[in-house]
Amino acid sequence: MKVSFPHMGNAYIPLSSLLSNLGAEVIVPPRPTRKTIDMGALHAPEFVCLPFKVNLGDNLRALQMGSDTLAMVSGMWACRFGYYGRVQHQILRDVGFEFDSILLGRDGLGTVYNKFRDTVEGSLLRGWAHAIRSFKHKAEAMDALEMAARKVRPFERERGSASSVLADGLDSVHEARTIKATDAALREALGIMDSIETEPPAREPLDIAVVGEIYAVLEPALNFDIERKLGEMGIIVHPVMSVYKWLFRPLKIDPSILVDERLARRIAKPYIAYVLGGEEHQTITGTIRAARHGYDGVIHLYPFTCMPENICRTILPRIESEFDIPVLNLCLDEHASPAGMATRLEAFVDLLRERRRR
Amino acid sequence: MMKVGVPRALSYYRYFPLWKTLLEGMGTEVVLSAQTGDSLLENGVRHCVDDICVPVKLFYGHVLDLADRCDVLFVSRLVSVEKAEVDTYTCPKLIGLPDMVKSSIEGIPRMVEFVVDLQEHSIRSSAKRLATALGVPQPRVRSSLAEAELVQAAYDQKLLAGVEPEEAMRQVLGNGNGNGRKDSSAQKPDARRARKPDIKIALVGHEYLIHDYYISHNLPAKLKRFGADVTYMTQVPAEVIESELARYPGISWSYEKELLGAASHFLGRSDIDGVIVVMGFACGPDSIISEIITREVVTEESPPLTTLVLDEHTGEAGVDTRVEAFVDLIRRSRNRS
Repeated sequence: MKVSFPHMGNAYIPLSSLLSNLGAEVIVPPRPTRKTIDMGALHAPEFVCLPFKVNLGDNLRALQMGSDTLAMVSGMWACRFGYYGRVQHQILRDVGFEFDSILLGRDGLGTVYNKFRDTVEGSLLRGWAHAIRSFKHKAEAMDALEMAARKVRPFERERGSASSVLADGLDSVHEARTIKATDAALREALGIMDSIETEPPAREPLDIAVVGEIYAVLEPALNFDIERKLGEMGIIVHPVMSVYKWLFRPLKIDPSILVDERLARRIAKPYIAYVLGGEEHQTITGTIRAARHGYDGVIHLYPFTCMPENICRTILPRIESEFDIPVLNLCLDEHASPAGMATRLEAFVDLLRERRRR
Repeated sequence: MMKVGVPRALSYYRYFPLWKTLLEGMGTEVVLSAQTGDSLLENGVRHCVDDICVPVKLFYGHVLDLADRCDVLFVSRLVSVEKAEVDTYTCPKLIGLPDMVKSSIEGIPRMVEFVVDLQEHSIRSSAKRLATALGVPQPRVRSSLAEAELVQAAYDQKLLAGVEPEEAMRQVLGNGNGNGRKDSSAQKPDARRARKPDIKIALVGHEYLIHDYYISHNLPAKLKRFGADVTYMTQVPAEVIESELARYPGISWSYEKELLGAASHFLGRSDIDGVIVVMGFACGPDSIISEIITREVVTEESPPLTTLVLDEHTGEAGVDTRVEAFVDLIRRSRNRS
């Protein structure tokens, strides 16, 4: 079985570990680029949301690289994401590819569990247990590295050093075959991260929270690596979501995530009374919390035509004035350009610096 | 008497007879917004986020039209509109509609919500909450709701028989429906002479698009002028849609299920010569469902299907050209066979 799945930030690291421990050969398509997005947009419905197009492009690339099975999460939600797998796989079949689908959520757990009966050596249950354990380790390692880089980046003496240590560290975590090796790779990368030369900033660094649609926030290909860009401008970035949280939220095993979700819903309730199926509660709560923590501003990222985030986009101006915190709304689609993005970010940051001086 | 303003947009096309009867039974006066027109749409677009779908922009326009004419604004929140064993939803924008209106339009009257969440509670309890919000004594709810449900059932029957929503409302509600101001720029019925119908075209799409004749450039009349007999999605009985859907499971949006079921029904009917799927630009659920229709439902034997995307910039000439071309194509392929 040569299995592949679409990208979402660094989620490929724990996911490939999960699948390869189940005996599948994992094909990781190259990180999404403009070309991926163009390939996806060519076959996708015209005004479907952008993540659909990027995922479709990832799938196309994976199929060209020879994968014979595509995996995707799926479900019956109010948000379109639940239908991605179904429609994308149909499009790809119409294009002429032949492959097997794993639609986690639509197929039922039993089907997915049994799918690996032939590939796992020995007991299937033990195989799954081991795969999930290594998945968790890799996810934690990835999260720890991302957080460490986030901390160092605004203060590094040489621009880009934290990001390159992060990239190397993620690579060695990805390549680690065992749990022991994963932990060793993490320790080593964290050690190097610690030794990065830093300098006290010339001026008090700004704090900016990043909220919005989860894929737009977490996928650097979509948001032109906003976290790195801001970090290297000497800004402390506080993303509301992380790949780790996204992976573990549906598994319901981490109590801190569950508590956080419930609290976020409660805080957002006066503004959005019902569940809309996206990250709307995290967006609203993230903005309110940013104001309470005294951050300087909030960046709201969302893909063009995203339903839940468009509702947030309508409500955010009210929160902006009620809580006195500036919000920059950035709508992303396949026509967004790095220059346009950079201009708006710089203007926003200038505004925040001016605001802080006063 | 308390004046309750109801916007003539979105769920109006589905539930207005129920609401009007209920609200009047509670002793309030119902004020309806004007027909969609240039200034109304422009106002809506100006107050709304840019990249939201045109029906929501229209809703904003209708709310603003009512702002200075009523004491209370009535906004529906459709969370789930069918009781089923699996989760069902409507579009997130219909779920979050009151939140959006409340947070982004200033200077509107007090808002009351009518929550339809059939998975969680009945229409009766929604009506009770409405009565509380309006300050109306509870005993009045029961009798007015019973009457309202009868009127709504009569309206649904009219739709099933192929009557257009505005006309059906006139028939079941009497002339009391027409108390909205006439917008001078609203679309006039097309008086040009129609040719004799020789083909049958089915329209699949949300009523709030097809039957808002301003935004759809009076699509049904246009088709009639080109000599087509028009069949609406509302003419497909619920049980037919249900049985069609058995072949396409796994959709959670109730209104999209209707689109899918109706499209599947029309595409399998030999007396239908063509199907037009009408959708609003930036409509989220439609972007997925239209893809499922064209990829899973259409077969070699299906009649021709086309998609018409409408937004606030769609020119009438553009719609004309596309519709005329579609009708010509149907006639030509028929003459050939």
